Amino acid sequence: MSVRILQVLGFASEPALADRLHALGHDGCVEHLTLSHDDVHRRRLRAQTDKGTDCLIALPREQRLGDGAVLVLEPERAVVVRLAEESWIEVVPRDAASALELGYFAGNLHWRVRFREDTLLIALAGPEKDYLDRLQHFVGDGRAQVVPHDD
Amino acid sequence: MSKIVTKIQDGSAPRSAARVGIGGPVGSGKTALIERLIPALGACGIESAVVTNDLVTKEDAKRLQSSGLISPDRVMAVEAGACPHTIIREDPTLNIAAADELARKFPQADVIFIESGGDNLASTFSLDLVDYWMFVIDTGAGDDIPRKKGPGIVRSDLLVINKIDLAPHVGANLELMKREAREVRSGRPMVLTNCRDNIGIDDLVGKLRHDVLFVGA
Repeated sequence: MSVRILQVLGFASEPALADRLHALGHDGCVEHLTLSHDDVHRRRLRAQTDKGTDCLIALPREQRLGDGAVLVLEPERAVVVRLAEESWIEVVPRDAASALELGYFAGNLHWRVRFREDTLLIALAGPEKDYLDRLQHFVGDGRAQVVPHDD
Repeated sequence: MSKIVTKIQDGSAPRSAARVGIGGPVGSGKTALIERLIPALGACGIESAVVTNDLVTKEDAKRLQSSGLISPDRVMAVEAGACPHTIIREDPTLNIAAADELARKFPQADVIFIESGGDNLASTFSLDLVDYWMFVIDTGAGDDIPRKKGPGIVRSDLLVINKIDLAPHVGANLELMKREAREVRSGRPMVLTNCRDNIGIDDLVGKLRHDVLFVGA
């Protein structure tokens, strides 16, 4: 089954929608559409819910998807966007000079990053191996160390 | 609540054209691809408009405007001035404004192509600018391009390997390109084209219709 979605109806956190979704959830009628952090920026995309409904999304330019966006709300079915859990790797530079170069490198590759004290957290938008390959020249000569990600 | 449900069910929300990015190295055949796509989509009742990006000229726009394939006023040029990545990724406001203007002037348009000229293998599109983007490479530039893992090759929604007719003449191993492209793209699709002879254009149109235009879906 496919459904065309032409607008976001609201967000699950809005009280009026939350009540409806809560009731539908009791009946097992809420479907989730899990989107990556990249895909959630799109106005148009085609993706399937956890129950297999094919969603053909074509939003107006001024609307945005987001975690909790309600796309379908019918008497016996709702479709709600769920943002996919994001994977990260953590990189600890050896010293200030290495940190400067690592920061420049990550920026030049347009990686999305966060900072935690002396650790650079890099969001994985693709296979982890691709990121580790790119970081190999830092890791190989000891200028940085990849450590297990701590949630 | 019933009002909202009714609104979405009768499809009365504003219609907006899909925005599709076309990037890739200089000379890979991006403009030639658009010249094939416009009539092929038109044959399916799908109307196009185009934004071109050039470094310091309007060459690609002029070529399309004089092609006879599309009304000249449906083609707008944006001059990057310098690095073309900047205006399709970091700050795409010039391109967004151009696409918005085309959408206002031609509300019947189903798709607005945003072609980015002068790119290299690192170029990607902002998803604030486009809904879907393809990256065009060609066999004449070397069969080692896919395994170089440029972000455009790895992350694009659709990889187009163009000029497949040239492969035997330039010593390019097309099978190797296909295999290595599959390996680095984690299952994302690709199509093979030869724009000169209109090969592969139907496959490309089929992908666009299914993935982003939702025509006949």
